[in-house]
Amino acid sequence: MVEAFAVASGKGGTGKTTSTLALGMALAEDYDVTVIDADTGMANLLFHAGLDDADVTLHDLLVDERDAAVSDAVYERFGMSVVPCGTSLAAFEAADPGRLRDVVAELAADTDVLLLDSPAALGSKSAVLPVVLADRIVVVLQPTVPSLSDGLKVQEYAHSYGTDTAGVVFNRVRPDENVDKIAEQAGRYFGGQTLASVPESDAVRAARREGKPLLAHAPEDPAADAFREAAARLDVRDGDGRDVAERFKSAVVPERI
Amino acid sequence: MRIPRGELRRSRVVDDAAAVLRAVLDEELTGYVVFEPQDALLLGETTSGVVTFEDGIPVLAYDTEREVGGRDGLEGFAVTGPTRAAVHAVDAAALADAHEVEAFRIPPGEPARVLAGDERLAERTVDAAPAARREEGRDQSAVEAFLADADAIEEIRSEAREEARARASEWGLDDVLADDARDSAAIEPGTDSR
Ligand SMILES: Nc1ncnc2c1ncn2[C@@H]1O[C@H](COP(=O)(O)OP(=O)(O)O)[C@@H](O)[C@H]1O
Ligand SMILES: [Mg+2]
Repeated sequence: MVEAFAVASGKGGTGKTTSTLALGMALAEDYDVTVIDADTGMANLLFHAGLDDADVTLHDLLVDERDAAVSDAVYERFGMSVVPCGTSLAAFEAADPGRLRDVVAELAADTDVLLLDSPAALGSKSAVLPVVLADRIVVVLQPTVPSLSDGLKVQEYAHSYGTDTAGVVFNRVRPDENVDKIAEQAGRYFGGQTLASVPESDAVRAARREGKPLLAHAPEDPAADAFREAAARLDVRDGDGRDVAERFKSAVVPERI
Repeated sequence: MRIPRGELRRSRVVDDAAAVLRAVLDEELTGYVVFEPQDALLLGETTSGVVTFEDGIPVLAYDTEREVGGRDGLEGFAVTGPTRAAVHAVDAAALADAHEVEAFRIPPGEPARVLAGDERLAERTVDAAPAARREEGRDQSAVEAFLADADAIEEIRSEAREEARARASEWGLDDVLADDARDSAAIEPGTDSR
């Protein structure tokens, strides 16, 4: 295990899930990558990865008396190990968020890079856990005031738990927008670096409809290029695998909310 | 700027502009509101400004003292504290000409944000706006202005820090707080080194 990243934004619809899978595929060129849909309340990674009909999902690993093994919820797709989450509200309610720690610890043991697609909210324990568990966050922003403001909040939450910022991805940037100035200003408040400016692109929506990550559906698209650039800038840190597993073990009080 | 005189609906002093903007949004006012910040009066300054609305959604802002419109105009009468708000209704057709003045137009969420510092209301307003108007929220100069205001940003950050800390204890996550977050005294406003 090298490093765990939470892909976060604080606000919905900025492109976290799109980014998680795009960064995952790009990083998979060099690393063993595991992607987890940790947005357990509003899971949608499964739709982006063609896993709508996945039998066992993260939800099945978060219940009290589970009979599924962690590996049952891991699907090899697009060169990555993908752990989707189900969309049933009942399953979400039955899930114990504290168990995410154990699942993540187990998955961390034999992968290089872990990407946690994180919830848009900060209002519950299950919503902040991905940010608590990760080593660093990647903040996905749109160049708008509400998105920047929510991104700042998520970053403060992360920092409160000792989770640093790896960098910022500006997503859904319009052709008439010049994010250079915004990125430079934002750089004063956000840690890490500006990883990329990803254009608004029809290919992204088409990929989602196809149930494929952008880099699989339209690898030549400028948005795909931008995500590859972001992945290249992400200086994945060499960590001691054992340390990480240990840290996950001691990380979260396994208590129900 | 010429705004056709409307029919006065009500005029009262409110504690903060958000209440008026919310009411106007809910009643889908087409017309304008004249704001007169009361604290400015006490300081011997006359400050007043107008925001026009179409179906409850802000369209134009104009600082009637400095005679500046648009976002800069809005900032001219963004004074915290009580403000007199006079709500006027105008015929939509009568407002159409005034609303053509591009330079005075503002993104729909701006009055809530600038006059009241109410991000939630700003978002609600944007959500309620017609699709074409929602795009205006992506006014790059508004984003740049937001990011240029280091004090406002620090306020967002320190509020979020406090919230994070308070909730950590609610959720039993105290133990995993970073040392400097647990010890609130160690947090210095303005720290952005991490
Ligand atoms: N760069 C982009 N260009 C166009 N559409 C995008 C882009 N990024 C995301 N989207 C679309 O925006 C919507 C939200 O994206 P998603 O990744 O699901 O966001 P989140 O996980 O943050 O809620 C999806 O319909 C997605 O296809
Ligand atoms: Mg998502």
